[in-house]
Amino acid sequence: MIAVMGIVIGYPLFQTVLYSFTNADLLGIEAPSFVGFSNFTSAFSDRGFLQSLRISGIFGIAVVTAEVLIGTAVALLLNEPLRGTGIVRVLLILPWAVPTIVNAIMWRLIYNPEYGALNSLLYQLNFIDKYISWLSSADKALGAIIVADIWKNFSLVAMIVLASLQALPEPQVEAAKIDGANGWQRFVNITLPHIIPSLQVAMVLRIIEAVKVFDIIYVMTKGGPANKTRSASIFIYQEAFTNSRIGSGSAFAMIMVAFIIALILTYLRLLQKRGR
Amino acid sequence: MRKRIRISTVLQYIALVLLSVFIISPFLWLLIMAISSSADLTTKPLRWIPAQVDFSSFKELFTLGANSRGEVFLYALRNSLTTAITAVFISMIAIIPAAWVFSRFPGRKNLVLSLAIFTFMLPPIAYCIPLYKMLVRFNLMDNSFSLAIVYCTIILPFCAWLIKESIDGIPYELEEAAIIDGAGLFHRIRDIVLPLLLPALGTVALMAVIMAWDEYFYALLFTNSKNSMTLPVVIANLASGRQSNYGLIAAGGVLASAPPIILGMVFQRALIKGLITGGVKE
Repeated sequence: MIAVMGIVIGYPLFQTVLYSFTNADLLGIEAPSFVGFSNFTSAFSDRGFLQSLRISGIFGIAVVTAEVLIGTAVALLLNEPLRGTGIVRVLLILPWAVPTIVNAIMWRLIYNPEYGALNSLLYQLNFIDKYISWLSSADKALGAIIVADIWKNFSLVAMIVLASLQALPEPQVEAAKIDGANGWQRFVNITLPHIIPSLQVAMVLRIIEAVKVFDIIYVMTKGGPANKTRSASIFIYQEAFTNSRIGSGSAFAMIMVAFIIALILTYLRLLQKRGR
Repeated sequence: MRKRIRISTVLQYIALVLLSVFIISPFLWLLIMAISSSADLTTKPLRWIPAQVDFSSFKELFTLGANSRGEVFLYALRNSLTTAITAVFISMIAIIPAAWVFSRFPGRKNLVLSLAIFTFMLPPIAYCIPLYKMLVRFNLMDNSFSLAIVYCTIILPFCAWLIKESIDGIPYELEEAAIIDGAGLFHRIRDIVLPLLLPALGTVALMAVIMAWDEYFYALLFTNSKNSMTLPVVIANLASGRQSNYGLIAAGGVLASAPPIILGMVFQRALIKGLITGGVKE
């Protein structure tokens, strides 16, 4: 298995590092030549690339924050002794199970400027007086994609947190009630510390996924309008496979990897501090 | 006091209803679109409930004519299935001995595990370029089997992690007893570890199948004909045409979502347990 992993991950990764110092092109028309660090230095003055990193960052922060808050709230709600929570728990798996591409296309149909459900709904309820082209206006497209991503992925957070809530020791809660702690105090002092470990896991999983986002944006807008939704993964994809410059594409990819590693290390450092 | 409790309960029920509407409505709309005629879908303002139920979109997707959309769709359905199952099968065979080693001999080998988990965090964009060149050179592009091998890169680290956690839960004493009885390494794994591991393996395999079913990026890069294009690629292509048939796209989406939704709802408990084991002891 180590050999398999080495061939399919290790070797390509190594090659990517090599490519990033050359001016190689996709089809190999000219023999690549060594260009030193110039790909890297030009990357940091490449506005398109810097903007794409920023968009990945904004997307990541927005979706993870929203998904963690909504997911936790939903988990707390479904943990209450209410009728019908059983059904809603089963429903919760629906957004998670819908494939990412189907989710993207579903929302694209909903946002459709002429026949989309959202426009029609808002119009019939008199919230808007003319149809809005959600995905082709520069200031709304990213937000629209973020909503679509939240719909799909809040359920994962909710399921993880809910499972950990159900393992919450009942006697502790009862003891706190007897001691006269109100609902909020019980939540902060007992429930929250109990669910934080699983919440962190859910967060790490979501951050990793969100920062490397490609497919949902690619299918919904292809990075447009005016590159306002072009994430780093889409930018590198275009550089390498549309413009067929794999040398600089690899350099961009390496910078992105460094970015992600830094993010994860910072996060782990923060965790360790709290652990002490 | 009693009145206050009742108000909060009412609020909770309202929240519950809103949540259900939020979860259901987008997908319900997809379902409605799939069974609406295109005339109903292109009226303004929209006709929310179709004038009559129209299954022509589904019919078109299931009709196998030369170069028809149905042909492309049915091939994609087959390709998605074979790719996902092959990838998961290869991963499972590779993963059991590896996870066993990770679990039973911690130490330096855990560095390999950490590295494997680390690759899970890397963006595929970081190693897809050399993979692409490799597949072109060995003439393996547009091939379900090579796509399955590539999918192993996503599935393996994830599975290694989850299965190692499960093997950790199997007492080593059981194996020691087998050693005393003279069982070899292969027999120890096959007769002692494997039977106890089966439930966990089932969960992990299920999650891996759903992951492979969902994958789009590599499929977009490495496939280009009906020989190997998977459902996500075909559906995205259906939707990217200028003259879009909304009902048809919606029907494709519904069909592609049906297997994971059904699997997810049937095996919900097992799946959530899998998510938790993977999570808690990170």
